[in-house]
Amino acid sequence: MFSLLALAGAQGLTPAHHLSLPDVARLQSLLSQQFTDLESAYYSVLGLTKLGAAVSDHKQVCRFIKSQLDPTSIDSVFFAAEASQAISGCEIPVSNETRDILLAAVSEDSTMTQIHRAVSALSSLGLPVASQEVVGALTARINKEDNVMAITSALQTAARLSKQAELGGILEEIEDLTARLDDLGGIYLQFEEGLEATAMFVTAAYSLSDHVDMEPPLKEDQVIQLVNSIFSKKSWDSLAEAFSVASAAAALSNNRFHVPVFVSAQGPATVSHSQPTLQLLVTDVMSQPLASANVLVESAYAVASKSIILNQAPFTLNDGVFELNFMSKQPASGYYQFTIAVTGDSRLVANHVELKVKVSTEVAVANMDLSVVDKDQSIGTKTTRVDYPSKAKSSFTADSHQNFAMSFQLVDVNTGVELTPHQTFVRLHNQKTGQEVVFVAEPDSKNLYKFELDTAERKSEFDSISGTYSLYLIVGDATLENPILWNVADVVLKFVDEEAPATIQAKTLYVPKPEIQHLFREPEKKPPTVVSNTFTALVMSPFLLLLILWFKLGANISNFSFSPSTILFHVGHAAMLGLMYVYWTHLNMFQTLKYLAIIGGVTFLAGNRMLAQKAVKRYVS
Amino acid sequence: MSNSVISVISRFLEEYSSSTPNKLKVVDAYLLYILLTGALQFLYCLLVGTFPFNSFLSGFISCVGSFILAVCLRIQINPQNKGEFLSISPERAFADFLFAHTVLHLVVMNFIG
Repeated sequence: MFSLLALAGAQGLTPAHHLSLPDVARLQSLLSQQFTDLESAYYSVLGLTKLGAAVSDHKQVCRFIKSQLDPTSIDSVFFAAEASQAISGCEIPVSNETRDILLAAVSEDSTMTQIHRAVSALSSLGLPVASQEVVGALTARINKEDNVMAITSALQTAARLSKQAELGGILEEIEDLTARLDDLGGIYLQFEEGLEATAMFVTAAYSLSDHVDMEPPLKEDQVIQLVNSIFSKKSWDSLAEAFSVASAAAALSNNRFHVPVFVSAQGPATVSHSQPTLQLLVTDVMSQPLASANVLVESAYAVASKSIILNQAPFTLNDGVFELNFMSKQPASGYYQFTIAVTGDSRLVANHVELKVKVSTEVAVANMDLSVVDKDQSIGTKTTRVDYPSKAKSSFTADSHQNFAMSFQLVDVNTGVELTPHQTFVRLHNQKTGQEVVFVAEPDSKNLYKFELDTAERKSEFDSISGTYSLYLIVGDATLENPILWNVADVVLKFVDEEAPATIQAKTLYVPKPEIQHLFREPEKKPPTVVSNTFTALVMSPFLLLLILWFKLGANISNFSFSPSTILFHVGHAAMLGLMYVYWTHLNMFQTLKYLAIIGGVTFLAGNRMLAQKAVKRYVS
Repeated sequence: MSNSVISVISRFLEEYSSSTPNKLKVVDAYLLYILLTGALQFLYCLLVGTFPFNSFLSGFISCVGSFILAVCLRIQINPQNKGEFLSISPERAFADFLFAHTVLHLVVMNFIG
């Protein structure tokens, strides 16, 4: 799809999305699926009718509807009544009972959905409806059910009522709902409840507005934003969603007030001598052509020079496509900005669009002159002319005393105007080594291209490799239909200080790199074991001294009483010391604390007892 | 000068061996042992280097901590200090000594690596 630019300020928004013909076909095929129950039959039949497609086998559908109808269910009667209205020759018999059920549903105690379905069924079946009563019930229900889907149902119900009824209050709800729409980036406008709610709102709003013949309070930009939101999704999750999109498409292409226009170029927006007409498709949101419209170019100017080339030029309608022979104005190649207006119907929305048109042409190389010039210019230049696409018969030789020169012109084949395309390159390709060097050819003030190769100066680009180089001219541009790659001649270059021609190595970017060996952290240098062992023994030695001293002092354990608490204390204490060792070797802090609590508790109690006994003994003695 | 130093020291030693009760001498011997152990550890560290540093710290702090706790015990069980520690019996002092040692060794073992 060719998306159009939106211009802020002078122009309004133009639709970024719409239902293209493949989209419509996809929607139709989704709605044409075999239906399994009355609800899907309703969506299918009505959806296809809204898209203007034919429903297959009316008789079979009618039979299906009649067989599935449950006359006691409002929903069932609604689906059946609406579907049968859409196909020809299908009459649903209605009993008094059914009619009473439907009429009883019109009260403020029923849900909005029930009221909507009952009133629609009554209307489709041709039964009388008390419009003012319905209006009362709807108004009461709107206060109780304030959500978007409910109010949309109310709008649709009101569209089925008599025009004499007081629908003004319900009409005002359109404005309230519009205020609830979320604006996303100035491009989309939708309810947070989703696509179905937005599409059904649009359908209901236009349905009611058409019914009371009052323009809905939607601004043009808002309409386009709604179009963007509804038609941006190209695959639909459910039959109900597809039905809502089809309903919205039908409402937006055929209501009394706003008809959004979608303008796009057929194929790329390019004109050239072979294809001189610019073709536009002007359609509504469902890709149906607006045959009654008048399309004209308000103004067109060249992007590069800003000169106006067209003013108020009309398009002619040719087999559903609007055409304009742009080449007849003989525009120079390049880009042009068109402002197109679609008129003829006051309902059209977004009918001013901007379009960028490219004029392309073919280029020819003229006056290609090759020469070898001596630097000191003592020897006259010998110029050889080469015609495209042939190659120069003899090769040119240039060594360090000479320059190789090339001059040419690029002209437009059709107009003879000189062109300056974006890409004009001279490529020298060494046939033996595969090396290539590319230079840019620059035009001078008279648009004459010149290229000079100073052999001595440029030897670094060539790596001083002498040899035969094929010379190519490359010309390219977006507006050229025939880019040129032309082998003009062979040039033999002789460089001074030639190094041994090294074979050009392809860039070794994607070759495995040398492996990095991981260096693990070096363990710290430890002192020799002898030293450690010596000092260990040395540190232990004071203990020996301690024992000797204690022996000399006469410390003894002669007072050791073998009472249970004493033994338990000593055992517990030894266990605690053992636990310290085990902590060092095996355990972590948490486990140690756990064991310590147990052993320590026991030791504490025993020790307390033991020390108390000692104290008593001391006091006695 | 050195004469007086020697005489002071010999006097001190004499007083010490005569007037200090045996219990305290036992504790003093223990203190000397702890001191030597700590000094030797420090000497190793100076000579050979601080690797592994955490082990050195743990060992050294163990000695220092034990020394301090033993000094506390000595002060508390000295009968001459009885007036200052009326509520703390020698048994209580010893129990405190054991408890504090448990906590100290827990920390030392954690740090020894």
